Amino acid sequence: MNDTPLSLTTAFHIGPLPVTLPVVITWGIIVFLAALSFGLTRRLSMRPSWPQAVLEMIVTAIDGQIRATIPGDPARFRDLVGTLLLFVLIANWSSLVPGVEPPTAHLETDAALALVVFVATIFYGIRAQGLGGYLASFARPTWVMIPLNLIEQVTRTFSLMVRLFGNVMSGVFVIGILLSLAGLLAPIPLMALDLLTGAVQAYIFATLALVFIAAAVEDGTPDSKETRP
Amino acid sequence: MNFDWTTFAFQIVNVLVLLAILKHFLFRPVAGIIKARQEETDAAIARAEATRAEAQAAAAQAKAEAEANAAARRDILQKAQEEAAAERARLLDEARAEAARLLTSVQAQADDLVVKAEAKTLARALDLAETITARAFAAQPRPPTPAGYAARLVEAVAALPDDSRASMFGSGPLILVPAQPLSDADLAAVRAAFAAVPELAGQTPEVAIDPELIAGLDLRTPSGVVHNSLAHDLARMAEALDGDGPGG
Repeated sequence: MNDTPLSLTTAFHIGPLPVTLPVVITWGIIVFLAALSFGLTRRLSMRPSWPQAVLEMIVTAIDGQIRATIPGDPARFRDLVGTLLLFVLIANWSSLVPGVEPPTAHLETDAALALVVFVATIFYGIRAQGLGGYLASFARPTWVMIPLNLIEQVTRTFSLMVRLFGNVMSGVFVIGILLSLAGLLAPIPLMALDLLTGAVQAYIFATLALVFIAAAVEDGTPDSKETRP
Repeated sequence: MNFDWTTFAFQIVNVLVLLAILKHFLFRPVAGIIKARQEETDAAIARAEATRAEAQAAAAQAKAEAEANAAARRDILQKAQEEAAAERARLLDEARAEAARLLTSVQAQADDLVVKAEAKTLARALDLAETITARAFAAQPRPPTPAGYAARLVEAVAALPDDSRASMFGSGPLILVPAQPLSDADLAAVRAAFAAVPELAGQTPEVAIDPELIAGLDLRTPSGVVHNSLAHDLARMAEALDGDGPGG
């Protein structure tokens, strides 16, 4: 445990590159999700077992959410949105493991996620409308809006990053403070609340990413459909 | 608070690696199995629809076949009825023809029988006439003159019982009934013949002609009649023959 959740602890070095603890935990999450996925999807059958049914329910729910936001085949965005949702969810809930600090409680992880969303938004927008069409979308409704739209592209990505970071980090902070002040069992209710907060934040992050992509794909107007939680 | 760009770079790579892993090991297989199940469900629904369509087609075909069978049955029944009617008419015609033929034959036989019966009757009548004639002729006196009939009349009166004869001839006048008028010689011969019977001797009877007697002399009194004529003989013969029956 660090002195402050905002500081990064270097676990080891790969050559000149320091590998920090959030990266290691992220690798653990990746291994966990990969092993879980591989183990559960090895023997898929037409008559699903209950784990397969849960997986299908999750995928179907993601597809339903995508389809509700962007008409058409949800498979185009399923991998990205699903990955964001599952990673943020598991990362947020990793705080339940003793000694593990959620990677999303560090700004670098949230910034990486937000950057992926930002790039994906541009990628899908260009793929849907072409480069000219996508750039022209910044001039809607008038060319006067170009600066504001450009700024909005950055600010909403920044808010996406900061929102996740602030919520998770604050939870870690509160639990750490309570743990240092009240003892072993006192933070348990807050940890339960942190579970709920983590799930909600994962949903919000994935949904906002989907909304940003939808705005870029549907009409090219990068208007903010962001909902302020 | 410091921003660690190395960690930032690592996390970008980590997210992309996780994206690839989940895409390969989670989302694609699960979406694939969902799609496969959906396709299987669609195929099952399509098969069910096809089966239902086949069932409907089979039902329609069965209905058509049933209607065709019903129509064929009606045709067969109608044809059978027509054939039965034709056969009935043919049989009736044959029966009528046979009946007419039989009727003609029977009529011919009846006519033949009538002819034969008439011939037989005629023959019997001839035979009867001959018999009657022969008997009547044999019963007539020889010669069949008023004198001969007078003699046969006297014999008949004499054959009567005495009391009958006395009561008959003592009751009143005598009436002599010939079939034709009598000549004086005939009357004289009659009186001469009466002389042989005491009750008639010496009497002069009245004469009343009756052509229905044909021939002969009847003697009538108020109390009786002594028949002595050909008509009476013929009547008695007819009664006798009638009592004997046909051919008697």
